[in-house]
Amino acid sequence: MIQITKKLTGKKYWRSLDQFYQTTEFQNWINREFPSEAAEMLDEPSRRNILKLMGASFALGGLTACRRPIENILPFSKNVEGFIHGKPLYYNTVMSLGGQAVGLSVETNEFRPTKIEGNPAHPWSLGSTKSYHQASVLSLYDDSRGVGVIGDGKASNWDAFTAYVKNLQGQLGNGAGLRFLSEPIHSPSFAAVKRHAMTRFPGAKWVEYSAVQTSATAHPTVPRIAFDKAAVVVALDSDFLGLDDTSVLAVKEFSRGRKITDEANPVMNRLYAVEPQFTVTGAAADHRFRLKASEIPNFATALLGALQAQSSPLQVLGQNNASKALSAIAKDLLANRGKAVVVTGPRQSAAVHQIVHQINQALGAVGPIVTYLPATTDQTRPQLDAMKELAGEMAAGQVNTLVMLGWNPVFTAPADLSFEANLKKVANTIYLAQDADETAAVSKWVVPAAHYLESWGDAVAVDGTASIQQPTIQPLWGGRTPAEIAALVSGYKDQHAYDIVRNHWLPIAGGEKGWKKALHDGLIRNATGAATTATASTTPTFHTSAPAPTPASGFEVIFAPSWSLFDGRFANNGWLQELPDPMTKLTWDNAAFISPASATKLGVIGGDVISIERNGRKLEAAVMIQPGQADDTILLPVGYGRAKVGAIGEGTGFNAYSIRTTDGFGYGTGFNVSKTGRTYPLARTQEFEYQEEPHLVNFQEVAVRPILREGTLDQYKKNPHFAEQMVEHPPLRSLYGDYDYSKGQQWAMTIDLNSCIGCNACMVACQAENNIGVVGKEQVARGREMHWIRIDRYYSGAIEEPQAVTAPVTCMQCETAPCENVCPVAATVHSPEGLNDMVYNRCVGTRYCSNNCPYKVRRFNFLNWHSNEHEVTRMVYNPEVTVRMRGVMEKCTYCVQRIQNAKIAAKAENRRWLKDGEVNVACAQACPSDCITFGNVNDPESRVAKTKLSPRNYAMLGELNTKPRTTYLAKLRNPNPELVSAAPAAEAHHG
Amino acid sequence: MADLAVLKDPHVTPVLVEGDPSLHKLTSDVAQIVEGINRKVPVQWYMALAITGGLTMLLGAMLGYLTFTGIGVWGNNQPVGWAWDITNFVFWIGIGHAGTLISAILFLFRQKWRTSINRFAEAMTLFAVACALIYPLFHTGRPWRAAYWLLPLPNTHLAVWPNFRSPLVWDVFAVSTYATVSALFWYVGLVPDLATMRDRATGLGQKIYGALSLGWRGSARHWRNYEMAYLILAGLSTPLVLSVHSVVSFDFATSVLPGWHTTIFPPYFVAGAIFSGFAMVVTLMVIARWAFQIQHLVTMKHLENMNKIMLATGTIVGYAYATEFFIAWYSGNPYERFTFINRAFGPYAWAYWTMISCNVITPQFFWFKKLRTNVPFMFVLSIFINIGMWFERFVIIASSLHRDFLPSSWGYFTPTWVDILTFLGTFGLFLTLFLFFVRFLPMIAVSEVKGMVANEQMHHAVHGTAHGPDTHNPTPGMAPVTGGSH
Amino acid sequence: MPTVHTNTPALKDKNVYGVVAEFDRPEDLVAAGHRIHHDHGYKKLDALTPFPIHGIDEAIGVPRSILGYIVFGLGLFGFLNAIFMIWYTNGYDYPLVIGGKPLFAWEFSIPPMFELTILFSAFAAVFGMFALNGLPKFYHPIFNMPGWERATDDRYLLVVEASDPKFDIEGTPQLLAELGALRTEVVSQ
Repeated sequence: MIQITKKLTGKKYWRSLDQFYQTTEFQNWINREFPSEAAEMLDEPSRRNILKLMGASFALGGLTACRRPIENILPFSKNVEGFIHGKPLYYNTVMSLGGQAVGLSVETNEFRPTKIEGNPAHPWSLGSTKSYHQASVLSLYDDSRGVGVIGDGKASNWDAFTAYVKNLQGQLGNGAGLRFLSEPIHSPSFAAVKRHAMTRFPGAKWVEYSAVQTSATAHPTVPRIAFDKAAVVVALDSDFLGLDDTSVLAVKEFSRGRKITDEANPVMNRLYAVEPQFTVTGAAADHRFRLKASEIPNFATALLGALQAQSSPLQVLGQNNASKALSAIAKDLLANRGKAVVVTGPRQSAAVHQIVHQINQALGAVGPIVTYLPATTDQTRPQLDAMKELAGEMAAGQVNTLVMLGWNPVFTAPADLSFEANLKKVANTIYLAQDADETAAVSKWVVPAAHYLESWGDAVAVDGTASIQQPTIQPLWGGRTPAEIAALVSGYKDQHAYDIVRNHWLPIAGGEKGWKKALHDGLIRNATGAATTATASTTPTFHTSAPAPTPASGFEVIFAPSWSLFDGRFANNGWLQELPDPMTKLTWDNAAFISPASATKLGVIGGDVISIERNGRKLEAAVMIQPGQADDTILLPVGYGRAKVGAIGEGTGFNAYSIRTTDGFGYGTGFNVSKTGRTYPLARTQEFEYQEEPHLVNFQEVAVRPILREGTLDQYKKNPHFAEQMVEHPPLRSLYGDYDYSKGQQWAMTIDLNSCIGCNACMVACQAENNIGVVGKEQVARGREMHWIRIDRYYSGAIEEPQAVTAPVTCMQCETAPCENVCPVAATVHSPEGLNDMVYNRCVGTRYCSNNCPYKVRRFNFLNWHSNEHEVTRMVYNPEVTVRMRGVMEKCTYCVQRIQNAKIAAKAENRRWLKDGEVNVACAQACPSDCITFGNVNDPESRVAKTKLSPRNYAMLGELNTKPRTTYLAKLRNPNPELVSAAPAAEAHHG
Repeated sequence: MADLAVLKDPHVTPVLVEGDPSLHKLTSDVAQIVEGINRKVPVQWYMALAITGGLTMLLGAMLGYLTFTGIGVWGNNQPVGWAWDITNFVFWIGIGHAGTLISAILFLFRQKWRTSINRFAEAMTLFAVACALIYPLFHTGRPWRAAYWLLPLPNTHLAVWPNFRSPLVWDVFAVSTYATVSALFWYVGLVPDLATMRDRATGLGQKIYGALSLGWRGSARHWRNYEMAYLILAGLSTPLVLSVHSVVSFDFATSVLPGWHTTIFPPYFVAGAIFSGFAMVVTLMVIARWAFQIQHLVTMKHLENMNKIMLATGTIVGYAYATEFFIAWYSGNPYERFTFINRAFGPYAWAYWTMISCNVITPQFFWFKKLRTNVPFMFVLSIFINIGMWFERFVIIASSLHRDFLPSSWGYFTPTWVDILTFLGTFGLFLTLFLFFVRFLPMIAVSEVKGMVANEQMHHAVHGTAHGPDTHNPTPGMAPVTGGSH
Repeated sequence: MPTVHTNTPALKDKNVYGVVAEFDRPEDLVAAGHRIHHDHGYKKLDALTPFPIHGIDEAIGVPRSILGYIVFGLGLFGFLNAIFMIWYTNGYDYPLVIGGKPLFAWEFSIPPMFELTILFSAFAAVFGMFALNGLPKFYHPIFNMPGWERATDDRYLLVVEASDPKFDIEGTPQLLAELGALRTEVVSQ
C-alpha cells in the first residue's frame, strides 16, 4: 500500500489547478476558447499561441510527474509494495454507465492511467469490458474538459463558487424553489448525500433522468436473466447482447450457451430475435425476424396466446414472416419449458414487459432463469413523468434554483419539454459540466466535473455488488464529483469526495481493514465473505406508465443509443468516433437507417439527405440503407449532432434528440419523411455491399467465398469437418520445404466464430494498448483507418431477411507470410517464436507488403496522425509501444510487448516457458464473449493448442498456403428444424 | 547470310535515305540542327523550353510537397497501396524499351532502317527511365531512406541488408543496370559524331565536344575495337531489355493477388513495353522530322516499319488480354474469376474498356498500308496507344488491388490533384531533356548513316552483287561479323 | 588519276610523325592501303575515316580486337560477385527468417545474378574499348595536319608513320601520290 502525504508530493501549489489558473490570461485561454484556439494554433502556428501551449505543456507535463492522489489508494497487482519505474501499477475501480456498474482494473504507467481492463473478481465484468470502458481513459485526457469554473459567463474559481453557494443556501429556505437534476444514482454514498439534501430542504425535489434507458431503468424492479441457464431465448426488440446492457454479463452468460464444450455430442442454445432494426443480437440469432417496434406488443400478446393455446397468431397479427414462425417458436418454447426465456428491451413499454413476464411465468422461467432485483436507484416514478413535472414547474417559474449534476440535460431532454427555453426562466442554474457543452452555454454557474478515473466515488451493480471508485490520478482540470456539489449545496457533513465515500463505507466494510480490502479487491464483501447481494424476488413491480405509441401511418422512428457516443457524452472521444458501428460500419456520423424497400419507396440511396418531420419538429439526416431492417422504420442513434462540443466531435452526425418527444421516447410513430435532394458524405470502413452493384450480383453468386465458414448444428453432427472441406485446393507444398517451428514457444490464436457478437470491444482495447492513431472522417472515407484489428461483417441470404456473421480479423502471423517475401528492406521478418515482426525503424514505406497481404490487415501511416494531438492527450500513450511516424507500415504484433514482459517476469523465476494464460493479448482480454484464445501452441496443455484440435478449426484463405497462426472455429447456428426452410443458406457469404 | 533476306527485300535500300545526298551534306544536315541554321537557334525552341521547363518546376514542387507532408497527399489508400505512382513507373519504363530494342535487337537482325532513328530512340529511353526512377524513389514518401536502403550498402541503420527475395530489390538491380547500360551504349554511339561536331565547331563548343569525344580520330584501330564493343553491347542489351520488363512484371507475378499472380506477365509486359515504346517514338519522331526538316533522313519507310512493329506487338498484347480471361475462367478459382469480371464490369470498367479500345482495336488499322503511311493518322493513333498503355498498367494495378480476397477490405481509388500534377510534371521533365538533347547533340547517328550510304556507293562502284552481303555494311558492327569471308 | 599536289617541307627526320595521304573515296583508300602494305611492305600504317571502312583492317594489317576476352572475364566476375553478395548479406552476415524461405537459394537469386553479369560486361566492353584505343587522348600529331578534320566528315586519310623502317621522306609521299592520293602531307610531331 502506498502512503502518500501532502509532504511527499512536494509540489503543493500544483495540487489544485484553480490556484494555478489565477493568471487570468492563461485561465481565459484554458477555460473558454481552448478547443477553438487549439485548433487555430494547430492550423497556423502563431508565436503567442505556441508560447501559450508551451506554458500549458510545461504545467501539465509537470503535473504528470506529481499525479499521486494524496489519499490512500491501493494498487491491485503482485507488486503492491511501492512502485518500480517502468513497471505499471493496477488499481481497481468501477465505472458506472447507463445504470450499470462494471468493476475495472486500471493500468497506470508513471501514475498515468493508460489502459482499462475488467476486474475478474467483479461479477458484472468477470475480467471483460465493452468499448465504452476501454475508451473512457481517452476521455480523461480530453483537452476540451478544461472548462474551469465559470460564473455568469466570466472565468471564476472554486472559492467564488463556494461563496456563491453559501450565500444561496440562505435564500433557499425550505428549498421550495430548489430542484436537483441528476442521472439515476447507483452510488450509495451519493444517495446518502441526496437523502441529506432532501431532509435539509424538504421542499426541494430531486429528478433523476437518463436519456438512454437501459434494462435497469425499464421499471423499478430489475430483471436478472441468467442466459447461461436458457436453452431457448426469444428476444422481442431486445438488444441484450448489445446496447441494452453496458455490462458484459449478459454476453458472457449467453456465449457460454453458444460454445461447443463437448465436441463429441455438441449442444447449443437457440436464439430467436424479433426486432425492428438489425442489432448484434439479431446477428447472433439462429432465427431473426424483422418486425416494426409498434407491432412487438401484438407479437408478444400473440405469443402469450399461442403458449396458452388460446388463439391462432395469424388472427392477431398480419401476414409476415414473424407471425408465420410464431407457432413454431411457441412450440419450441413449450418443448423447453423451464429452460426457455423471453426477453424484451427498454424501448418497449412497461405493458410489454408485463406480457413478457406472464410469458416467462407460463414457461416456468421466472425463478430458474429470471429473477427480479430491487432497482439500485431509489427512483420510484417513471423518469419521464418527473421530467415533465420539472419542465412544467420551470415554465411556471416555480423553480428558482436548478442544480444539474447529470450530463447535458439541455441536449438530451425530450424535445417537447423545450428544456433550454425553460432553463432561462430559472434564476440560479448550477451545472457540473464535462466540457463546454450545450447546457454549460446557458447555465449561470458552470463547474468542471471530475472524470471517474480522477475522483472518488462508488457504485452498486444490479445485483447489489458495491465497488469503490478509486481515482488513479489527480483531477487534471480541477473537477469535482456530483456528490461533492450536492454536499456543498446541502451542507453535508463531508465536503470532500474522499471523506464522503470513505465515511459512508467504513462501517459497512468493517473498519479500516475492510476498507483497504475493498479498495484492493475492487468490491465490498461483508463479514460472511459473500458479495453483498440484493435479495432476488420473483414478483416484479411495474410502473403504470403511459401506453406504448399506437401504430400510425407514415414512418416509425426508433431511437437507440449510439455504439460510439452512447448518449452523446463520448462525442469528443476520437477512438469511439472512429469506431465503426458493428452492423453498418459507419464512422464519425450517425444516419437515418432504412430498409432497402423503404429506400426504393422514398427513391433515395445511401448518402441522400431526407427530412423527418412530426408535429412541426423536423430533422434532416443522411440516409443509409440497412438490409434486414423493418420497412417504414427509421433507426436514429442518439448522441450525434452536438451543437457545442470539442474539436473532435464538431459537425458529426444529426441530432436525433431534436425529434424525440416524451410520447415517442423509445420509438415514435407517424413521422412524415421526404427527400431533400441534398447529399451528405458518410465514411464507412467496410464499403462494399453487393446489392449496391446489382450487375455484379450474379458474378458474386458464382464467386462464393468461404471466408467466414458457418454451418448448422445438425450439419456439424453429421460431418464435424465440414468447415475445412468447404474449399477444394491442390496439395499445399512449398518450393523450398518448410521452416521448423516445432521448438520453443510458438504463439498462436484461435477465434471462435460461435461466440463472437461483433461488439467492437477488441478494437478499442487494441487501439488503447498499441497507441493506434485516429485519422478522422476524411481519411476514413479515403480508406486509411488504422485499426489493427477489425470486425468483418458479412450478410448472407436474401436482402430483405439477411443473416449476418461477424468476425475479428487481424494479422494472422502467417508462417509463410506473403508480406515478408516482398519487403525489399527486410522490415518485416519472422521471429523464432513465429511472430511476424514489423521493424518500424527499418521500414521505408513501399506498401508492397500491404498489397501482398491477402487479409489486408496491414495499416500504413499515410500522414503523421499524431501531429495534432494535445500534450494532455498524449498522456494516454502506452510507454511500452512505439508511436509510429508517417511513412511507416504497422500491424498487429500479438501484443509483443506483453509477451516480452511476461517472458522477463518468467525468466526472473528461472522459467523458460510461460504458463498458459500468463500472457494475454489486449483483444482477447477485453472480449466479452471470450471468443479469442491466445497462447503457446507448442504447449499441448494450452487452451489454444486444445482449440486448434477442434474439427471446426480452419485457416482463413488457408488454400493460399500462408500457414496462418490465427485460425478460426467455424460458426454454428442452431436453427429450429421446423423453420429451417426459412433460414437462408448459411455457406454462401457475400461482401 | 542472315541479311540475305533483307537484301532481297525490294524496298529496304533505296528509301532509307532519300535524294542520295553527298556525305558532306549528310554531315551538315545533321550538324546544323545543333548549330542552328547559320548559327541561329530558332525562337520556337526557347518557347517550347519555357513550357516544358515550367512543367518540370511543377514536378519539383509536387515532389517537395509530398516529401514534407507524406504520401497521404496522393490518393493511395488501403487496399490500393499502389496506384498512379507505380502505374507511371511502369508506363515510363515501358516507353524506355523502344530505344534499346532499336539499337540492340534490330542491330543484330541487320535492320538497316534503324540507323536514322536509333540515336533518337536511345535518348528517349534514357529520359523515360529518368522519369520512371522518380516514382519508386518518391512513392515511399520518405525518399531520403528509399534512396539507399534498397541498395546492398553497409549501413549503420540496424546493419540490415536488403532482402533479395523481394522483387523490388530485383527491380532495383534490373532498372539501374538498364539505365547504366543504355547510357553507355548511347555514349559509345555518340563518340564518333561528337568528334565530327568537334571538328566543325569553334571556340568553347570545340573544347566541350573535344572533351566529350575523348580525342577520337576514327583510326582504323579505333574502329576495330569500337565495332567489337558495339557488337558486344548489342549482344548484352538484347537479353537485358527483355529482362527489365520481365523483372518489373515479377513485382506483380510473384505476389498472391488475383490478377497479379500470373505466369503470362513477363512476355506480356515486354510486348506491351515495346508497343508503347514505339508509339512514343512515332509521336516524337513525327514532330521532330517535321520541325527539323529531316524527312529525307527519317523517311516514310522508318515510320511504316515502326507501325508494323506496333501492329505486331499490339496484337500480342490483345492476345494476352484474352488469355488472362480464359485462364481466369479455366482455373475455376473464384477469386481469380471475380477479379477479371470485376475488371470488365466493376467500378473500373471505364478504365478497362479504354485500355481495350486503345490497345487492341487501334493498332489493327495498321493492317492497311494507306493508313500506316499516313503521317497525321499514325500520329493520332500513336497517342491513343500511349494512353491505352498507361491505362493497361492502371487497370492491372488498381483494379486488382481494390477488390481482392476479403470483400470486407474492398475500396476504391481516386487520384488527388497532386497525383495528376506530378504525372504532368514528369512529361515536363521528359520533354525538357529532349529539347536539350536535340539542341546540343546530333540527333541522328550520322557516322552510321554515312557508313551505310557510302557502302552502298562503294558496292555499286567496286564489287558485284555476289559479295553483296559482305560489303553491304549499313553499320560499323557489321564488319567483324561478316568480314571473315575475306 | 587527278593531278597530285605534293607538299614536302624541309624537315628533320626526327621531327616527322609521318606522311598522310588524302583520298575522297573509301575504295581508293582500301586499294592504296592494300598495295602499300602488301606490295611495298610498309608496316606502320593507319587509316583515318569518318566511318568504319570494310576491308581496311585486312588491307593495312590491323590485328583483331581482343576486347571479347576482357568482357568475358569481367562478366564472369560480375556473376560470381552477385552470388557472393547475396549469400553473404542474406545468408551469412545477417540471417533472417523471411516468409519461411531459406536464407540463400539460387531460385530467388537469379535476377540479381543476371543483371550484375550484364552490368560488369557492359562496363568492360565500353571502358575496355577506350583503353585499347588509348582514349581519352587530347593531343595527337595528326592534329597538326591542316584540313585533317575532314577525316570525320567525308575524307579518308592513309597514314604512313615515320617510324616505319621503309619510311622515306621523299619517296613515301611520291609512292602515295602514285597510289592515287588527292594530296599528301608530311606531318610533324
